[in-house]
Amino acid sequence: MTNSQDRAQRSGSPVRRQLIGYAVATLTTASLMSSTVFAQAVDISQWSPEYIRSIAGTEEVDTAATCSAVVPLDYTGKLTYWWTGPNEASPDIERQINDEFWAAWKATYPNIETDAQNIDYNQLLDKLRTALLGNAGPMVLRLQILGGIEFASKGYFQELRPEDVGYETANFWPGAMKSVAYDGKYYGIPTNNETMGFIWNADVFKRAGLDPESPPATWDDVVTYSKQIHDKLGIAGYGMVAKQNAGNTPFRFMPQMWAYGGGALDEASDTPTYDTVEINNEGAKAALQASYDMYVRDQSVPVSALTNTQNENQQPFIAGQVAMVIAHPSEYAKMVDLAGKATGADKPVADAVVANMRYGLIPKGPARRAVVFGGSNMHFIKPEYVDGGFDETAAKAFACFYNSPEWSTKLAWTGSNPGNLEGFKTKWMKERLDSIKFLDVTTSMLPSGIPFPVIPQATEIMNIIVPDMLQNALTGKMTVDEAADDAARRVDDLLNGL
Amino acid sequence: MSIATEREIAARAKRPIRFGVLRQMVDRRSDYLYVLPALIVMMIVIAYPIYYTIELSFFNTPSNLQMKDKVFIGLDNYARILTSRSFREVTMNTFIWTVASTFFAFLLGLGAALSLHREFLGRGVLRAVLLIPYVVSAVAASYVWKWLYHSDFGVIGALAVQFGFTDRPINFIDNIHTVLPSLIVVNIWKEFSFAMIMLMAGLQTVPDQLLRAAQVDGANAWQRFWHVTFPHLKGVSMVTVLLLMVANFNAFIIPWIMTSGGPAGASDIWITQIYTIAFGRQRYGLASAYSVILFIVMMTLGYFYVRALTRGDDTRVK
Repeated sequence: MTNSQDRAQRSGSPVRRQLIGYAVATLTTASLMSSTVFAQAVDISQWSPEYIRSIAGTEEVDTAATCSAVVPLDYTGKLTYWWTGPNEASPDIERQINDEFWAAWKATYPNIETDAQNIDYNQLLDKLRTALLGNAGPMVLRLQILGGIEFASKGYFQELRPEDVGYETANFWPGAMKSVAYDGKYYGIPTNNETMGFIWNADVFKRAGLDPESPPATWDDVVTYSKQIHDKLGIAGYGMVAKQNAGNTPFRFMPQMWAYGGGALDEASDTPTYDTVEINNEGAKAALQASYDMYVRDQSVPVSALTNTQNENQQPFIAGQVAMVIAHPSEYAKMVDLAGKATGADKPVADAVVANMRYGLIPKGPARRAVVFGGSNMHFIKPEYVDGGFDETAAKAFACFYNSPEWSTKLAWTGSNPGNLEGFKTKWMKERLDSIKFLDVTTSMLPSGIPFPVIPQATEIMNIIVPDMLQNALTGKMTVDEAADDAARRVDDLLNGL
Repeated sequence: MSIATEREIAARAKRPIRFGVLRQMVDRRSDYLYVLPALIVMMIVIAYPIYYTIELSFFNTPSNLQMKDKVFIGLDNYARILTSRSFREVTMNTFIWTVASTFFAFLLGLGAALSLHREFLGRGVLRAVLLIPYVVSAVAASYVWKWLYHSDFGVIGALAVQFGFTDRPINFIDNIHTVLPSLIVVNIWKEFSFAMIMLMAGLQTVPDQLLRAAQVDGANAWQRFWHVTFPHLKGVSMVTVLLLMVANFNAFIIPWIMTSGGPAGASDIWITQIYTIAFGRQRYGLASAYSVILFIVMMTLGYFYVRALTRGDDTRVK
């Protein structure tokens, strides 16, 4: 889990480094002057796969030069950083880019001693909460979009906005900026924006008598398709995820709930107030009923859905045992990776699945098409809660470097989209579009993105109450209505401070 | 003897006791100094957390407030826990988990210890093999068992289908009725070796001449076990059972990794519930109240454990 970076400082003459610093600073000024010519914000109103393709590769960037204007490259200091990075289930390319990033960071700011911890997605929140109670947090933190407001509301985060590290707020997606805003102030910088898409196996569709090139248009179709696939082929249709206390669950269930017209609160409305509980309205119950129908009535989804995260769905998908999943575009890279590692009789099966992977928009419901506006944000923790003190300059240098158009794009290579919209103009974005299949589908889902409620209680609602509601209904412990009403009562209690 | 004299005698009789203890402490001050560092460390790492947990159990800690801004609510957390439906469910799960795990682990351990106490070819190898579950990391074992039990692609389910026992893989851990027994099996597998080691040590204390005498007197195997062996194992059995119970009350790794308390809370036990309340829901006050209740139960068990350990010490001293 721990990935401590090399703490050794580069040897060499300080005078020589100083000279290099001055030279870079001079170049930076020139570079910034020239960059203003093309550094116009991406026009979100024109958002479409064609527009994204048209702007990709139109801008040259020099990250070291940009960041040297914020913090001199010869700055000596120290940095502690926690984030959720690549793990064993990540495609090789993500691990490779991660290594490249740390090498580039070390080369750019050789005198900033860095201690970085790569912490599992499902453990980071718990670890952070515990650490902050003991004033032992890191200086800089990259946290899932859902988690930040809780800590901002408790006063653990410093105010932080893109301008503090050399960028403009206008160059970040407004929905993402909303996720770092609390009580009228900004507490972070969006590092990446992600919206998932719908993946299906065209060969399975064909064998089940479905159009292999058309995904289900509605969530009702998902229920029908899942049953048809299961009845005809004896495999799971839809890769449902309903594990308790796991972020994967709401990321897959909430789009369904919003599509049917439900919501935890009123987060799906144009102007959410987060003070009305909608988790037991008719739309929410319809979504829960659809899940119940697939799991209990039709038994067309994996039985293990109650203990599965998306990671556990990958192996059955590559083995052709699950036909449809909701996932990031990175799922394609993961499947290519898994197919590459398959051997013997598994190899042709895995290759066939990859060849038959299709990626489309998440189905609509009676109310809308929806997807979770996800991603991660970078935060600075207040000095009094940091273990060993806060080095503001080092933190700013790191935030500038990480959120640069270059690394914002590269670090989101397979999983999401760059938080810094300038990244869409870089050559790396063009390379991604050329090399990653289906990437434009997920970018097309961005306008349908709905952020989770921007309130401190959001993590408990999404990670605990929503999965509990699903499990209560799917195990038969409660009826659909009872499960929804029980969840509503718990959300209500939570909002009332109980 | 006058009344005054009797009082004086009584007072004298009491005085030495009071001053005697003090004098003993003064006389043995160096002994106390030797244990002082350990005492200080224990005060810091044990006494203070216990005090803080008890204090915290009287406060509400809403998710939008820092710990320093907690709200005093008296005994509300205790009342909330003791009247909640989930407490009854979780307590029942904890009871089943603890008693079943302890009972079967002890029974299996006893059987293994008795079998391995005899001389036979390959005894050493078998003893080493049976120790494997105990030395394997609980985290690794939990992940392995999770996959063995997997409801769609688990090895056990696949074998059951292949040998025609069932039509479809058995649903071990995604069913509210089977999940707890399934986890208990893993727990028993993990800890029966511990009981085995303890009881094997206990068996060394059974005098051979008694067993031989019983055999000469015509006692059969069961009678020799029940009337000779088992009475000699009572002490070590008591300690083993108490240690297993304490370990099972505090067991976290297996249920958390395999099911996180699910599905629908069917495998939630006190310790996983406390973890979820504290770190999932950030109700540190409520979790602390839960912990205090668990602490009281553990202290009660601890009392019996110490009594079992020190039984006969006084007699030996006399």
